Amino acid sequence: MNSKWRYGVTGISVALKSVVLLIFLFPFVWMITTSLKTFPETMIFPPKLLPALPQWSNFVTAMQSGPFLTYTKNSIIVTLSIIVIQMLVMIPAAYAFAKYKFRGQHFFFALVLLAFMIPGQVTFIPIYLMLADWGLVHTLWPQILPFAANAFGIFLLRQYFMQVPSEIIESARLDNANEFTIMRKIMVPMSIPALATIGLFSFVSHWNDYFWPLVMTDSTGVRPLTIGIAMLRETEGISNWHIIMAGNVVLVVPILLVYLFCSKQIVKAFVYSGIK
Amino acid sequence: MASIEFRKVTKSFGDSTVIKDLDLTIADGEFTVLVGPSGCGKTTLLRMIAGLDPQTSGAVLIDGKDVTQIAPGQRGVAMVFQNYAIYPTMSVRENIEFGLKNNKVSKEERTELVESISATVGLSEYLDRKPSTLSGGQRQRVALARAMVKKPSVFLMDEPLSNLDAKLRIQMRIELIELHKKLGTTFVYVTHDQVEAMSMADTIVLMNKGVIQQEASPDLIYREPNNRFTAQFVGVPPMNVAPLGTDGAHFGFRPESAVLTRTPSDAWFRYKGVITTREMLGSETIYQVKNEQFTFMIKCYEDLFTVDEHVYVGVPVEKIMLFGADENRIPREDPRAADYLERLRRQGDE
Amino acid sequence: MNNTTRWDTLRPYVMILPAMLAILCFVIYPVFYLLKLSFYRYNLLNKAKSKFIGLDNYKQLFSKDEFYVALNNTLIYTVTVVLLTIVIALLLALLINRKKTRFNAFLQAGIFTPHIISIVSIALVWMLLMEPNFGILNYVLKTFGLPTSKWLQSSSTSMLSVILVSVWHNVGYYALILLAALQSVPPTIYEAAALDNASRFKTFYKITLPMISPQLFFVLIIMTIGSFKVFDTVRIMTGGGPNNSTSTLVYHIYEYRSNNLGYASATGIILMVIIAILTFVYFRVLANKVHYQ
Repeated sequence: MNSKWRYGVTGISVALKSVVLLIFLFPFVWMITTSLKTFPETMIFPPKLLPALPQWSNFVTAMQSGPFLTYTKNSIIVTLSIIVIQMLVMIPAAYAFAKYKFRGQHFFFALVLLAFMIPGQVTFIPIYLMLADWGLVHTLWPQILPFAANAFGIFLLRQYFMQVPSEIIESARLDNANEFTIMRKIMVPMSIPALATIGLFSFVSHWNDYFWPLVMTDSTGVRPLTIGIAMLRETEGISNWHIIMAGNVVLVVPILLVYLFCSKQIVKAFVYSGIK
Repeated sequence: MASIEFRKVTKSFGDSTVIKDLDLTIADGEFTVLVGPSGCGKTTLLRMIAGLDPQTSGAVLIDGKDVTQIAPGQRGVAMVFQNYAIYPTMSVRENIEFGLKNNKVSKEERTELVESISATVGLSEYLDRKPSTLSGGQRQRVALARAMVKKPSVFLMDEPLSNLDAKLRIQMRIELIELHKKLGTTFVYVTHDQVEAMSMADTIVLMNKGVIQQEASPDLIYREPNNRFTAQFVGVPPMNVAPLGTDGAHFGFRPESAVLTRTPSDAWFRYKGVITTREMLGSETIYQVKNEQFTFMIKCYEDLFTVDEHVYVGVPVEKIMLFGADENRIPREDPRAADYLERLRRQGDE
Repeated sequence: MNNTTRWDTLRPYVMILPAMLAILCFVIYPVFYLLKLSFYRYNLLNKAKSKFIGLDNYKQLFSKDEFYVALNNTLIYTVTVVLLTIVIALLLALLINRKKTRFNAFLQAGIFTPHIISIVSIALVWMLLMEPNFGILNYVLKTFGLPTSKWLQSSSTSMLSVILVSVWHNVGYYALILLAALQSVPPTIYEAAALDNASRFKTFYKITLPMISPQLFFVLIIMTIGSFKVFDTVRIMTGGGPNNSTSTLVYHIYEYRSNNLGYASATGIILMVIIAILTFVYFRVLANKVHYQ
């Protein structure tokens, strides 16, 4: 009796979980199959999952509908630059906050936390005006510079650095290492997991970013992939779903690939950021 | 090789002054142990020598030179930390040569030094391992090798053995004594363990609450303590001390100085008591003997008595030490001494 | 002072300097700049023609129906998204929490996937799924004999559709945070409860919920603040429509950013004040009721 009942529960739980999985993954499956359909196939009702013949040419059409090479290049440059600059800015700051005592330390750290809370959805107006004054609006800088200081990253890395025993740093100082060497040879190698977390986080959020490039760019030459894909509906027509989905696949695939190889790490990174 | 000198050194952390106007000279080439209860300022002293927490005022001299303005890495000192502070992301070899690299020592010379040092401490087979794969004892050796390879003029050690198990600790103690003999360098060693201090030091500097209580060889520290604190800090079990009943003075004697008998004794200081505990430690036995007035620990080299037995405790006059109300030792020449001793003898008659 | 010691005192400031410069430039200064802009009628083409108009932008704001619609929409969106997400996330976390099997690990990765995908893709895919004539959602509804919906294209269902997509996008993330919280509850507490003969419901209500309340609290805050800033889905899926039914505060700011920059700035200040108050209130009121170990 008891074991039968238990089997029943397991069965229900497996079924439930399968439905959940379907709800979360099906839209992606639908995106991919639609990207391979012909135009009439997208309009059939009741809809069919698979196309009769995969239309690989949809991707060519999507990519030719705009300067997608430029968009892709912009996305890559912007995302990588942000990560590199953030690291250069974040590591010394986190090290100073974690391992030094100086006047005004708490005040400066409060500024970092404040930076957390001020939404870019509000400050984009003055920032745009400022960058326009500096003559930067037709470059990629407006998409990079405002993210130079990653408040979340400084916070997280500081926590991590604080766990490095002070004796190790003192030992290095006795070994005649200067502070730069200590950062490069000791702090950074010891914090690879935290740095990877922050880097992944930055990569995902800036590769995916839509709002900021939307309000910062007004010329095709500096727009990233997200904007390009969103504009497909205007260039290709609202109902050309097979082409839009093809563009969509191009946008999603790099992230999905990264996710496929380090889903555990990414999940951990995001969840950790939520627990602290 | 170098001597170390503290001149009128004061150290404060924020509002609290840990050390005030301290003077101390550590002789060149000696094994000096700074010992005392936790919070006594011994580690602070060590860190001031290294330059990790510079003094608030006063001067620290290494080899006669004021090093106040010299960075830790350039003072010619090496330090072994309690938790070893090994660089976890570097291999054993990289750990050992890190200091040499920073000092721009050539590659050939580095390799040669690393090989010879690692042979000395028995690490040759582990050079390419990561510290996380080493045992506690091996990590300790990495920390030692890392310090030795720089050929420092001063060796600083901050409770380096306290993370090892008891057996390994005793072995490492002997190795450190031998190492000191071989290198002939100044060793400054911090510990809270008086046994460690007694067994290794040429000179013990005993500290309490930021003040040096006594600075002497282990032998002198044990036999001729300057004050009550020293008397009761050193020795296992520590010296028996009890109030004399006048002027706030105290008297004391070492546990092994007393004699236990079943018949009344005519020793200078004597009392009758009952044995409340007995610890048999092999070569010796420690009894706790109690009456209404005293509770003393008595060490005997023969195990003749049992718990609950009534015994007589006797201490000869030459083994009795007297301490004044200011806790300082009262020497025999002091005019008070004779009077105090007489009181003590009469006490036994009552 | 000696050279080395002076450098020692200066060093931490030099180390935080780049970060502080960036924060000053792109966070602190813009806030004050925004405040200033909100008192001006700003002329984008000719700055010299910009005019100080005091509180006029705010007066205009509070007398405009459009603003109240946007505010109302944002409130509805926030409350619904927060409630739905927290309940579903908790249910998902409880569903996965039972055992550490491979399937559960896969499920975790699965429900988390939408969170790392660009909202652009998410919005586009869901627009396809919600297409009223041949979309798969209506097909599913029909199959189960339910009435179909016009989803995004009707002002009565558009907000709900946007909410649905937002919940789907983020619920996996929050579920995993709560799952981590559930798994950090020491099992001995449950064993003690079992020995005390507590029912399952009681165990959940009296032990599990209080134990994970710090994380629930955290999730609540970031979700509320995040929801108040909703923009991307609205912009791509509905453009605020139909009939302003999905216009939100940020969308409102966005729409006025070039025509009436001062007005947009004033709206921005209002939004910032709301977020500040929310953060403050949450920390003051709820912090007392949250169980911290």
